[in-house]
Amino acid sequence: MRSDRLEALARILVRYSTAVRPGDVCVIDAPAYCSEFVLAVSREILRAGGHPVTRIELDGAVELFAREASEETLDWIDPGSEVVTEQSDVRIVLDAEWNSRALATADPARLARRSRARSHLTKRFLERGASGDLRWVVVGYPTLSAAQDAGLSLHDYEELLAATCLLDDPDPVARWEAFAVELQHAATYLDTVDELHFLAEGTDLRLRVGGRSWVPCSGRENFPDGEVFTGPVESSVEGTIAFSFPAVYRAREVTGARLRFVGGEVVEATATSGQEFLRAMIAQDEGARRVGEIAFGLNESLTEFSRSTLLDEKIGGTMHLALGASYPETGGLNESALHWDMVCDLRCGGEVWADGRVVYRDGRFLPGVLK
Amino acid sequence: MTDQRIERLGELIVGYSLGLRPGETVRIDVPVVATPLGLAIAQAALRVGARPILAAKLPELEELLLREGSDEQLGWTSPIAACELAEVDAAVTIWAETNTRSRSRLDPRREQLRSVALGHQAATLRARVGRGEARWCGVLYPTHAHAQEAELSYREYADLLLAACHVDGPDPAAHWRGVAVALAARAEALAPVRELRILADGTDLTLSVAGRSWIAADGRQNLPDGEVFTSPLETSARGEVAFSFPVAFGGHELDGVRLRFEGGRVVHAEARVGQQHLQAMLATDAGASLLGEVAFGLNPELDRPLRHIGLDEKIAGTMHLALGRGFPQAGGSNLSAVHTDLVLDTRAGAEVLADGEPIFRDGRFLHDVSGGGTA
Repeated sequence: MRSDRLEALARILVRYSTAVRPGDVCVIDAPAYCSEFVLAVSREILRAGGHPVTRIELDGAVELFAREASEETLDWIDPGSEVVTEQSDVRIVLDAEWNSRALATADPARLARRSRARSHLTKRFLERGASGDLRWVVVGYPTLSAAQDAGLSLHDYEELLAATCLLDDPDPVARWEAFAVELQHAATYLDTVDELHFLAEGTDLRLRVGGRSWVPCSGRENFPDGEVFTGPVESSVEGTIAFSFPAVYRAREVTGARLRFVGGEVVEATATSGQEFLRAMIAQDEGARRVGEIAFGLNESLTEFSRSTLLDEKIGGTMHLALGASYPETGGLNESALHWDMVCDLRCGGEVWADGRVVYRDGRFLPGVLK
Repeated sequence: MTDQRIERLGELIVGYSLGLRPGETVRIDVPVVATPLGLAIAQAALRVGARPILAAKLPELEELLLREGSDEQLGWTSPIAACELAEVDAAVTIWAETNTRSRSRLDPRREQLRSVALGHQAATLRARVGRGEARWCGVLYPTHAHAQEAELSYREYADLLLAACHVDGPDPAAHWRGVAVALAARAEALAPVRELRILADGTDLTLSVAGRSWIAADGRQNLPDGEVFTSPLETSARGEVAFSFPVAFGGHELDGVRLRFEGGRVVHAEARVGQQHLQAMLATDAGASLLGEVAFGLNPELDRPLRHIGLDEKIAGTMHLALGRGFPQAGGSNLSAVHTDLVLDTRAGAEVLADGEPIFRDGRFLHDVSGGGTA
């Protein structure tokens, strides 16, 4: 990444997203080839008085573990992970890989076993995040792997991210703060809604969100950002949803996924490709067949699908639904080792009805709805 | 793509050096440049049912901290590392630098602050190793920087280093088991010695090793390896010593080092190159000006200085002394944040007397104890 942008990104993440304070233990997760990012962020952390700690992923380490670990070793939690989960004040996790498909041929049952063994860590991570003990952010970054998945050159992918993150802006933090106000309007409105009804091609889905909280996402836990989400009432989800974009999870791509819900649980899951993987993931634990999150993507600077969940779920005019764990701060109660965001495009003919009234059409809230 | 020798080195460390068993945990401290070896060790560990933790390091981060960190930040160490070092059954340190001079302009005061903090962190593991609760192995990995320091190409350097580890052939562990027998015999022969007197060009140093144990360094704790060492009685060193080879330590070069000892302590120190850094090192703490080690290098694959102490101290026919921390397992009691090895070329014009009798001359022990072993 261009050095001026890298410095801007580091400043935003440390000063705005995670607001590092003196003495904070700040854990940075990144692959080894992103050392420039790690160093830029570490420098900002040092300037803020924090303590940078790095967890560097080496080339080949993830697939080595998936390939060679015994079943007992798959269940093992290294002591450092427990310490990171319980003692970090800030976590900055780079959404970057050596090769997004490195686990494509790994046994899904072994991967699921691994994530089950680690699910209590995920749960504590989310709890500490919800209670404010932990500030964390997952960060999009221009890597060759991500650019390739998006079908772009590295240069063009960096331009896309820089524009979305507002890195070339003279005062990106002010712009993100302004965007936060807009997102807050959407959340404030949605907090008044009880039932949502989504209609799009192949989609007719009803669910209840009354009593749950909508969370505006303005660059604090994800960067870039731009969505509002909540956890629906677990047993309320009824009907069918067809995902227009491929659903990507752990290097696997499921296209043409359709889910049918009865009483909040998936009763039918089909896909034009990757159906077996979809079903294996849904079957991994009880919570994996329930919805943990429902959200509107509201970032208008993102328009095209890039095979990065972090970006795609924020595309203005989309909604997404996640199977698996809910975020405690929404009031959601679902627990699972899974959290799989799947994106549905509402920009062409999609409608959303709230408590019997149409409030959203073709990818936008109707005028007057959001104050 | 993996070099088969690197895979064998990983297997040697896991199988021979550490003897990992199913269910045991091993922490692998790996600079990013040494990824192939880090992964080879992790793979070998997973294959015996052990559990590897790859603790990867970006050296630039430590440099950044040394340049920009506050005193408080320099004195802080990670609770993750602390927890791992307190719990693992075994640990591996891979030494692999990407620029041996990256610390040349750092403020020595800041470096001292940092090295004291890191010294405390390392002490946890060292104490556990001392009590037999954990095993540790340090291994040198070839990099362009080390090759450049040795004035060799990367390939020449890697070939030399891996030959010294004996991972060229199919069964490196068999070789090292043979070395272990030969070195153990040498250590046993040295056990009754009470006083050593080292005579060489510019050197006449007397030390007591009475009651101390000589330890065979046989590839369990270092790779490459090949030496016998002990910690001399802390107050015993007297006389003068002139070291032969240049050493690079902490980004600085030291050459032409001459020390005079009285009552075990350095009373005069000079260096033709790096005088200031030598003085700063000696001033680290009270233990830094006492000897923590005396040793004989016995690796026949190593025959010339390569300006890396982990190799040079093992050159067959040389001796080395270390300022600073002693070895509790040898009976040593000196405490310090530093352990600075300095090598004495005793291959020509040198003699060692044990309790007045010559035992070593011009790089060779006068009595063969090995029964034809390789060391």
